Order: sequence, then C-alpha cells, then structure tokens
Amino acid sequence: MDQESFLERLRRGQLVEGPEHCPEDYIESLKRTLIVSADTELISVPAYFRAAQDAPNLNAYISAMGIIQDEMGHAHIAYRLLRDLGVDVESLIYDRDPREFKHPYAFDVPLDSWTELVVANAFYDRAGFVLLKDIFLHTSYGPWKRALVKVNREETFHLRHGERWMTILAQDPQKRDELQRAVDWMFVLTLEWFGLPDSLKRHKDQISYGLKGKSNDQLRQEWMSATVPLCEKLGLKVPAHYDHEREEYVIDCPFPADFDAENKRWNFEKGPVTWDDVLQRWRARGPANQELVRQLQVGYRQLREALAA
Amino acid sequence: MPTPDEVQDALCEVMDPELPISIVDLGLVRGVEVDGGMVHVRLTFTSLGCPCTDVIREDIRERLMRLPGVQHVEVEEVFEPWSVRDISPQGLVTLRQLGIT
Repeated sequence: MDQESFLERLRRGQLVEGPEHCPEDYIESLKRTLIVSADTELISVPAYFRAAQDAPNLNAYISAMGIIQDEMGHAHIAYRLLRDLGVDVESLIYDRDPREFKHPYAFDVPLDSWTELVVANAFYDRAGFVLLKDIFLHTSYGPWKRALVKVNREETFHLRHGERWMTILAQDPQKRDELQRAVDWMFVLTLEWFGLPDSLKRHKDQISYGLKGKSNDQLRQEWMSATVPLCEKLGLKVPAHYDHEREEYVIDCPFPADFDAENKRWNFEKGPVTWDDVLQRWRARGPANQELVRQLQVGYRQLREALAA
Repeated sequence: MPTPDEVQDALCEVMDPELPISIVDLGLVRGVEVDGGMVHVRLTFTSLGCPCTDVIREDIRERLMRLPGVQHVEVEEVFEPWSVRDISPQGLVTLRQLGIT
C-alpha cells in the first residue's frame, strides 16, 4: 500500500490491526512510541518499590504495592504489543544498556521517601495519564487502543492515591515542608517530561500517523490544568499560574532550567538554559538510572548464568 | 434518621475506585444497621490485600454523613469471602461492557 492511500485510510478513522496493513515507517514510529510507554511503566516498578519501603502504615504499603503491580501489568501490555510486532522483547528488557532505556529523565532521579512517592503518584502518574488518554483517544493502532481501557481505569486510582496522600501530608505540620520540597523539584521535572516545545519539535510523524493527537505543549497545558489547581487548593507553591487573558497556564520560573540531580534542586538563579542543554542532561541519564534498570535485570541474568553453568 | 434501605440506596452511589460499578453491585456490603444517629456498615473486600480499602472507607463515610440525621458512621471490615458470584446482575453487565469477564 502506498503512503498516500495509507494516510487517507487513517484520515477516514480506520484503525490499523497489524503490521501487514501498513508501511514499514508507520511500524517503526509505532514501535518507538510503544517502547517509551513500556519502559516508563516498567521503570516505575523499582522506582516506586524503593520509596514504598518508607510507607507510614500497612494499608499505605498495600496501596503502594497494588499500584506497583498495576504498573507491571501496564508494562507487560506494551511489551506484549511490541512482541506481536516482531520485537525481541526479552533482549530489549534484559540485555539493553540502562542508558538506552527510553523512560523520562524524571525516573532517573531516585524517590527517597513516602512523601516523594505520593507526589510521584500525583504528578508522574498524571503525566502518564494525560499522555495515555491522548493515545487512547487518537491512536490509529487498534490493539493498543483496546488495551488502554484497563490501563486508564487503573491509573485513575493511582492519581486518587497520590492526591489523597498529598492532602493528608499538607495538613500535617511535621510533613508540610517536606511535601513542599518534593513539589519544588518534581513539578518542573514533570513539566520537562512532555518534551520539546512545539516550536522546536522535529518529529511530526507521531501526529500525522495518528499515533497521538495533541502536541507536546497542549499536553503540558493539560497536565498543568489538573496539577496547578490541586497544589493551589493544598496551599502548595508551584511556579505556574493560569493567565486569564492568554487563557492558558504560564510557567513562572526559568524553563527549561539547570537541574542539580544530586541535591534535587533547580538552579533557577542561572536563568533559562537551552533545550539542547536539557537533551544533553537526559542523554547522560540521572543518578538512579543504573541501579533501577539493573534491579530489573539482575534476576534474569543470574538465572541465565546458572543455566549456562 | 435514615432507614437501612435509605442507607443501602446511598451506598449504591459509592463507586469502586477503578471501575464504574457501585460497592453494592460489587457485593462488598454485607449488612447495614441504623441506631439513632449512628450507621454501622459491614464491609468485605474482593481480596485480603485490596489496595483501595482506605479510599472505599472514606467514600462510604463521606456519602453517609450527607444523609439527614447521621452523626456517626462506623465501617467494619468483616473479610467474609468474596467471589464473582457476589456481583449483581447489573454489575456483571457493566463489567462485561468494559471488557472484563
């Protein structure tokens, strides 16, 4: 099938059901999108597990473990779709260099406390939800669209969990400062998650192929439209506000900015940096990258070595 | 004071945190007693390690406190065995429409 008649089919809203019905280029673009989603769900497992050890009580721990189990299931769905497209998923997960994982940089910065975990559930899971909801509504790939029904229902519980716990901590005088500190570094890191602004974005194939519907800036706005009012309601400071004249959210700090990952601190005093600087930081990966990916890979490797011996 | 039936009706508006099905249709509510301004709800969960217990208890309390005359809500976790057979016919239709079988 030639490119033009394929795009015409997509414009009519027809879904793609398998690799035999579409150009190679579409499949490659779909795989790239799926790998980002699969890796993001998967890396959240060790990242959240690490912080869940700090749960304040047993019910809280059980909730966190339920969320982690959900994320594992979501990763499984996305890798399964990749396997159906002919990708060697075992080697993708277990043999890949940690730096080659495609999850957002935010997950390379370790979550060290229950407070940071619940802010991640509210901020990062909201980012994932915004992105996956867009894919659910707009993707031209039928198998993914159907699988996302379950994923999005479960993510709503994760958001509820994160926002509920942020509310509890915001009312606790002993936890409030810690919560604000987590918000301070995690808010801007999640803004970055949505990637290059539309004015700089090079790859447009995701939208022309109907793999996603909204642009990076639109998705960033949607995330802020849920997150900024939440923080304002809880009396937490965030560097963004709604501008009634422009009818959109405006970021009030230098953005993008220089990030000190070891100290979880934004160097706003240096002023804005370029997106090339950000891409360079992303490519160098963050402090927890190796530890988290190795944690996913270690059991499989030990088993393989034991079998080979 | 609400009658036990009115409490039951109100509980039909308390939804599972993940699915658009009420905790009554899901078969979690195992008894309702009203004693003056005090409402006592006996509640089970679909599994022992249910991650949603705190959220469901909160939602029950929030909804029942809005009933006229209710001053106190007590949710007792009974952990009676739960199975798919406890889901109401309406609940089963909802789940099937969502693609859960």
